[in-house]
Amino acid sequence: MNKGRHLSLALGAIAAILVAVACQDTASSPGSITAGGFPPPKGGGGCANFRLTGGGRIDQRDHLGFAKSTPESHDFATFGFQARPTSACPPTDGSGNLEWQEHNPAEFGGGFSFHGTVTFFTTTNDETAGDSRCGRFGGFGRVKTRDGQTFDNVPFEVRHACDVDEPGVGNDHIAITIGVYSRHGILSGGNIQQHRLTGNI
Amino acid sequence: MALKILSALTLLAGAVQAQSVTGNAFGTYVNVAGIVSQSPVASLPSTGGMATGQADAFSVAGAVDGRWLNAVTTGAVDNKKTGAQSTSEVENVSAAGGAITADIVTAVATSYFGQFTGGNDATGSGFTNLVVNGVPVTTDVAPNTQVALPGVGYAVLNEQVPSGDGVTSWGMTVNMIHVVLQDALTGLTTGEVIIGSASSSVSR
Repeated sequence: MNKGRHLSLALGAIAAILVAVACQDTASSPGSITAGGFPPPKGGGGCANFRLTGGGRIDQRDHLGFAKSTPESHDFATFGFQARPTSACPPTDGSGNLEWQEHNPAEFGGGFSFHGTVTFFTTTNDETAGDSRCGRFGGFGRVKTRDGQTFDNVPFEVRHACDVDEPGVGNDHIAITIGVYSRHGILSGGNIQQHRLTGNI
Repeated sequence: MALKILSALTLLAGAVQAQSVTGNAFGTYVNVAGIVSQSPVASLPSTGGMATGQADAFSVAGAVDGRWLNAVTTGAVDNKKTGAQSTSEVENVSAAGGAITADIVTAVATSYFGQFTGGNDATGSGFTNLVVNGVPVTTDVAPNTQVALPGVGYAVLNEQVPSGDGVTSWGMTVNMIHVVLQDALTGLTTGEVIIGSASSSVSR
């Protein structure tokens, strides 16, 4: 009985792996956005004792300005997220969600929608490293392009989300990588806030 | 001594619990002669978190047509910082039988308390390639701009409704396109169409 059960579990596990591989194969041909097959980077950041929420819009692709792009360019992105560490650190596990809408038709798929689930949360390890106002998080998610393609298990990383001041417009900034898509800028709308872990998101 | 500490902790917890946030966002709302249709709504819990509502397309014949509807609201309550921010977007918009069209309609409503001050704003809201009554609108639309829609009624573009007392509460509602349908003979209101709506508020 137990042998049969063990065999059944083993076959189930193999089947699950095959399904997972098949899913990754299905999602592994998305052109310039690479999907599946590797985890987002967890290393490099330190333990964080805060959580982040945010939402809004970025237009300019640098940290120098926050003017809206020209209407004909459609060159802007909007977003919303909540993210936090979930365990005593280390490890740097995290939880939360992120929505990202890229409107530029010159970007992958003619623009896309992304919904991600947060799996890690740390302090930053890029040019904002050491800035206590900034956090870093990432995980996996689904890309739906404007030209009708869908890709699952796409890794993403918010390299930094920084709560510089209130209001967020013209102050806070965010940098994201989804596959090989990348964008960063100062908020032209919305806000990013850093909160204590005692909250309840 | 223990009783004093317990009392202080209770007061602190009460101060945090007294704070609240709200957030709502949706792509489209149509009320024609009492028949209501609405795209998915994102509603933020009063204690914060995140909510979303999406649809690939939404259409009510003669009233509204839109694609890639996306509504997101996030926020958190904290005795240091409290905030809520909502975003709504609709692409390929056509409203009121084509009297208003836009490539993208974006609404952003932000409300917050920092350590020392609070505020609200609708910055980031806007239209991409807006056309009203066949005329392209190439400049930013001022808040609460009213335009006539012959044979339909009128529309308020970039409708902004602030709320709160500015001390213990702040709030903002943004409706990027708010069409008021009127009877051509009597002028009575027969319905409304809202496209790109985002709202948020904080209080303590």
